[in-house]
Amino acid sequence: MAVIRDVMPAFQLYQPSSVADAQKLLGQNGSDALVLAGGLDSMDWLKDRIKKPKVVVDLSGVSELKGIRETPDGVEIGAMTTLTEISTSPVIRQKYSLLSQAAEVVASPQIRNQGTIGGNVSQDTRCWYYRAGWPCYRAGGNICYADTPVGRNREHAILHSERCVAVNPSDTAPAFIALDAKFVVMTPKGQRVIDAEDYFIGPDIDITRMNILQPGSLLTAIRIPSTWAQAQFYFEKVRDRNVWDFPLMNVASAMKSSGDNIQDVRIAVNAVAARPLRLKMVEDSVRGKPRNAATGEAAGKLAVQGAVPLQFNAYKVPLMRNLVKRAIGGVQEAAWAS
Amino acid sequence: MSNSEWKPNQQKFGAKYKLIGKDYPTPDLYAKVTGKAKYAEDFRVDGMLFCKLLLSPVAHGRVKHLDVSKATAMPGVKAILTQDDLPAPADSVTDLGVTIKANPLGEKALTMEPLYHGEPVLAVAAVDEYTAAEAIEAIDIEFEPLPFAVDPLDTLRPGGPNPRLQGNVWVRPSMPQAKPGEKPPSPPVPHVGELKWTEADFAETKHGRLPLGKAQDEWVVGDLDAGFKEAALVLDETFVTPDTSHETLEPRTTLAYWQNGKVFVHMGTQSTVQTLASLGRWLNMDQNQIVLVSEYTGGGFGSKATGYIFAIIPALLSKKANAPVMMRISREEEHFIGRARPGFQGRMKVGFAKNGRITALDMFVICNNGPYDAVGDANTSGTIVSLLYQPLAMRWRGTTVLTNTPPRGAQSSPGGMQGIVIMETIVSKAARQLGLDQVDIRRINCPEGKAPVGPVRNGTRGHSTSAFLKEAFDRGSEQFRWKERTARPKRSGTKVRGVGVSSSCFVGGSIGYDGLFVIRPDGRIAIQSGVGNLGTESLHDVHRVVAEVLGVPWEKCDVTWGNTSKNLPWTCVSGGSQTTHAMTRAAHAAAIDGKQKLQEIAAKVLGGKPEQYEVGNERVFRKGGGRGMTLPQAAQHAIQLGGKYDGHEPPEDVNKFTKASIAALQGQGLLAAAKDKYPRDGQTFSYVACFAEVEVDVETGKYDITDYLAVADVGTVLHPKSLSGQILGRSILGIGHAIGQKWVFDPHYGHTISLRFHHTKPPTILDVPVNMQWAALDIPDPETPVGARGIGEPPVGGGCGAILNALSDALGDEIFRRAPVNLDTILTSLEAGRPTQDPLTAHI
Amino acid sequence: MNDKLEVIPDQLAKGVSRRNFIKGVIAGGAVASSATYLFRASSLLGQQPPGLGERLITLNVNGQARRVDVMKQETLAWTLRYKLGLTGTKLGCDRAECGACTVLLDDVPHYACSILTHSVRGRKILTVEGLANSDGTLHPVQQGVIDEQGFQCAFCMSGFIMSAVGFLKTNPNPTRLQMAQGLSGNLCRCQDYDKILTAMMRGAENMRKAHHV
Repeated sequence: MAVIRDVMPAFQLYQPSSVADAQKLLGQNGSDALVLAGGLDSMDWLKDRIKKPKVVVDLSGVSELKGIRETPDGVEIGAMTTLTEISTSPVIRQKYSLLSQAAEVVASPQIRNQGTIGGNVSQDTRCWYYRAGWPCYRAGGNICYADTPVGRNREHAILHSERCVAVNPSDTAPAFIALDAKFVVMTPKGQRVIDAEDYFIGPDIDITRMNILQPGSLLTAIRIPSTWAQAQFYFEKVRDRNVWDFPLMNVASAMKSSGDNIQDVRIAVNAVAARPLRLKMVEDSVRGKPRNAATGEAAGKLAVQGAVPLQFNAYKVPLMRNLVKRAIGGVQEAAWAS
Repeated sequence: MSNSEWKPNQQKFGAKYKLIGKDYPTPDLYAKVTGKAKYAEDFRVDGMLFCKLLLSPVAHGRVKHLDVSKATAMPGVKAILTQDDLPAPADSVTDLGVTIKANPLGEKALTMEPLYHGEPVLAVAAVDEYTAAEAIEAIDIEFEPLPFAVDPLDTLRPGGPNPRLQGNVWVRPSMPQAKPGEKPPSPPVPHVGELKWTEADFAETKHGRLPLGKAQDEWVVGDLDAGFKEAALVLDETFVTPDTSHETLEPRTTLAYWQNGKVFVHMGTQSTVQTLASLGRWLNMDQNQIVLVSEYTGGGFGSKATGYIFAIIPALLSKKANAPVMMRISREEEHFIGRARPGFQGRMKVGFAKNGRITALDMFVICNNGPYDAVGDANTSGTIVSLLYQPLAMRWRGTTVLTNTPPRGAQSSPGGMQGIVIMETIVSKAARQLGLDQVDIRRINCPEGKAPVGPVRNGTRGHSTSAFLKEAFDRGSEQFRWKERTARPKRSGTKVRGVGVSSSCFVGGSIGYDGLFVIRPDGRIAIQSGVGNLGTESLHDVHRVVAEVLGVPWEKCDVTWGNTSKNLPWTCVSGGSQTTHAMTRAAHAAAIDGKQKLQEIAAKVLGGKPEQYEVGNERVFRKGGGRGMTLPQAAQHAIQLGGKYDGHEPPEDVNKFTKASIAALQGQGLLAAAKDKYPRDGQTFSYVACFAEVEVDVETGKYDITDYLAVADVGTVLHPKSLSGQILGRSILGIGHAIGQKWVFDPHYGHTISLRFHHTKPPTILDVPVNMQWAALDIPDPETPVGARGIGEPPVGGGCGAILNALSDALGDEIFRRAPVNLDTILTSLEAGRPTQDPLTAHI
Repeated sequence: MNDKLEVIPDQLAKGVSRRNFIKGVIAGGAVASSATYLFRASSLLGQQPPGLGERLITLNVNGQARRVDVMKQETLAWTLRYKLGLTGTKLGCDRAECGACTVLLDDVPHYACSILTHSVRGRKILTVEGLANSDGTLHPVQQGVIDEQGFQCAFCMSGFIMSAVGFLKTNPNPTRLQMAQGLSGNLCRCQDYDKILTAMMRGAENMRKAHHV
């Protein structure tokens, strides 16, 4: 049968106004249902007619999933809070600016006005073979089209790839990992609270999913503990165009110093693997060391140990090394007056 | 710049004119800002159906099984169109009466033997898009895969796959000799043949150099060997430029319906009048039976020069379904069918004297054409390079290779841009090796005045009408503070900055078209315009000449455009930067005709001789005071006098298309019409000197463009604000080729995999400086009455060249050997200390 | 908003309170359609194809309540362009990558191509057609375009103008760079960015002047 990559197929649309109703709908419809948050990722799949869910559950009317609340030990962000709300939130900007920096460089203003934090961390990979509907491993097939001798894989993984070499494109995910955030997930069996880094999964766990959400489950909120409030933060996103483009790589670190020394640190990078990677070995290696260029250099080198570039993404190795170096040791800013 | 400042024009133009050189809001602007301007997809017709396309899933193949029964049985499906429903390709006849035979191997609107992934195979019309899409999915279709090639070098290899069953290049049999006194013969129909290079040729690729195999075409001027012997420095470089989609923001959506035997086609096209002939040819119909409506076109850049063949799909479906059909083209479809600039694989050997003067230039290019009609980019690249760098001796060799990739088309500065970009990186390298200033080396090779251009044809070389590029460099160096910037430190922290400069030029005008307007008894000037409205504003700008010559306020002029049933004059293609030059000439000719008629009418009515009368202030009056009449009065007299005065007797020499329009307009007032017969010594080109500064982060490879200036030699400035848009807008088109625009194919499957803007990378507003600069010399071209030349294309090559040269200034010559240059290239090359990207492998 | 109930197919919504689905209104009256265009061909009436489960809803568009039949999978851009005749909102990519479809929802710029019409019930939708006064006086940002001859082909123009109007509500006195950031979700393929920025800065100036009068 012929293929057409335009015009959304028909579906039954539900617009619940409570989490409980949303859960019921998801429970009833299981894998027939697609959850629509901001919809920017989902709508691509629908318009390309690659996904044809019977039911779409639009969460835009669920007000309890929206908003940023200060809690006794940090903040809780509803999954349907927009990226613009996050990047302009006074409390986030003041205490967790790592996250506002990350949210600020996602896609474009309109996408940030509509895209939600839940959607941003839960979005699917942008591997152009997979997104164009090629029957690859991730799509349930038995080949990876990007990982062939001539496959176009400039934007693909250098670490932890297993059959699939796609990467996670989220800009906010590494910030949440660095902030030691907890993801609140409603499952059919009840609520689970998961460490940010454990929310994401690689092809070794399940090659068809980017995160732990199973049909019927819903990410409802993200909690940031106050542990890292107003720590020293570093965020950098590297992309081709300064608008719209997904990261070629990004890095997020949160650091506490004692004198000149690094007292504690958390660091994560994304777009190097199918899930955002927390660099625990780097964290362990720099704890107690002076925060300087030499420590940064060493951290960068350690970070890329075991990295295996594909045919066209060798740049990702020095890029990751340098981004980690900067996130730990700082950037040597240009000092010229133009 | 302070917050409130909105960047007033730096220069004042038009000192000796009332309207020319002055800013004004174009009359189409109100409709545009209020959303009332209607582009093709904005029209609605009762009972309108929607059509969707079935696209080829293979790079080359043949439909071996097709069953549409399930689709046609679906409620709401009205008609299906396939190749079998298309009219036979029609021959066409040129203005000179030469018949151009239709090529059976040319592009069709729909095909059962697709030659690229994404080529339209069939179309379904249904009551709505949803049903049409469901119907496409209900079609049972199978393809027999055939051999394919997406890279020109693959098909040129010995034993390499052929993109078409017949071969991989167009072969044009030699032209038969014209017999004296007889109509020129039809040129023979080109066919597809095979061109393969040898293993020995391909040995060059091991060194990253382009093989110099047998070329399709070549020409030589001067003594190449002597030139290389004289040279103090000889560089031999391979460079590759990207394939880049035009990506007009408006996809080529088309609405068509039939009424009283005529077909009405609403589409976005660059040219109004000149699109009619294309539609007639594609539909195999008399042009008189076609009405084209194209009031607003959402960008063209060459891809909609005279429309597009796919416009006949809704027209034919409409006939079949007996209802209007809207074909909304999706962005993905636009990527496939919307044309692209052909990428070049180029190699140049250039000899430089100690002072930088180019003594010899040996240019070799391969042009990646896609599967259909040959684009002219390869040839044009040689012409433009020969003009822009004035080599003392030059050989050009070019081969246009067919591939199973989406069809290419002319894109702003077609061929010129690619030639300039390949050349510019070499000139920059030469300047560094010879210890010369980058501006100086370009200045010394500048064309000046009547500069020679291209090969010798019929015993002589052509030349430019004028060239003031040196003056542009002088002005630009000062405005950009070139000396100061080059003397500044380059490195600080992780940042390195570099400055670059580039020469640029392209064709700037054609001749021989018609102007037409009516001075009406109500005192208004009804100007008929066959110029397309693709946003360059030349549509309105050129007609200001009429008001200027007649001394009429612009507010009294009404321009009619965008609908071929509205009596328009014969007009140039709105492409190739022709319009400003061609149509100011035509407008001038018509204005002079109108002026003479006013003088004659005054003499007839008021006595005396025509030359004793002057025209101005909406009057024709006796010189030095005395009797006169208003333009409304003159218009009344013209109607009474009839004959040539009100259009009953059209001028002999205007085009038959104009004559038909004159016949329809006769008797409405004083009708002025004339063909541009002004002499022109030389070919018209415009020139731009481009300057840029970049700042590169050596730890990420990411760079920003921090400054940009373009100084244009475009003759007389007509409309400063629209000119600024053209100079900087087309500069950014070129910049896009340096910083990211590309196409990506999977060579194993033959598929285009860059289907989205985040893959093909059209520049965003944050990828260019927020305060770009421009200037214009405003020196009139001596070979045209108003002195104005075109500007749409000339900045493109320079925009790209200036960025590439700034990058090599910052990073050195051993970083990149192809464009675009992205952070991956920069970072890996810096890391390795040598260029890491094989220049000859495809874009990734 | 009125709170009347809409019918949800029972078999698809077991145990979920119907009330919670409701944001629209059902009432009598004609379905909006542009003057000369019927969305469904008359031959189809009574023989509706499977995807067109349309529902009559009310939208607040340019200050007016507009009743319109909307499919479940219909985007706002489609409703505006094909149901309400508001063709100033353009479809450039239909994939949230160009901004030509930008409209304001409760004063905030959104891509109308990438939001379901059913999810904007109850929100204030502003399109380019709703900017000028009823007497034809242009919005200061539109006037800025006229003043500076902003844009070329203008297919992107309404999207840019809506982005600028939305952005200026959050920052009425931007620098050129801030304005560029505010407009950065809009693509211009004529690449007239410099002149567009100038026109929008002029528009911002026009707005400040208008407010001081």
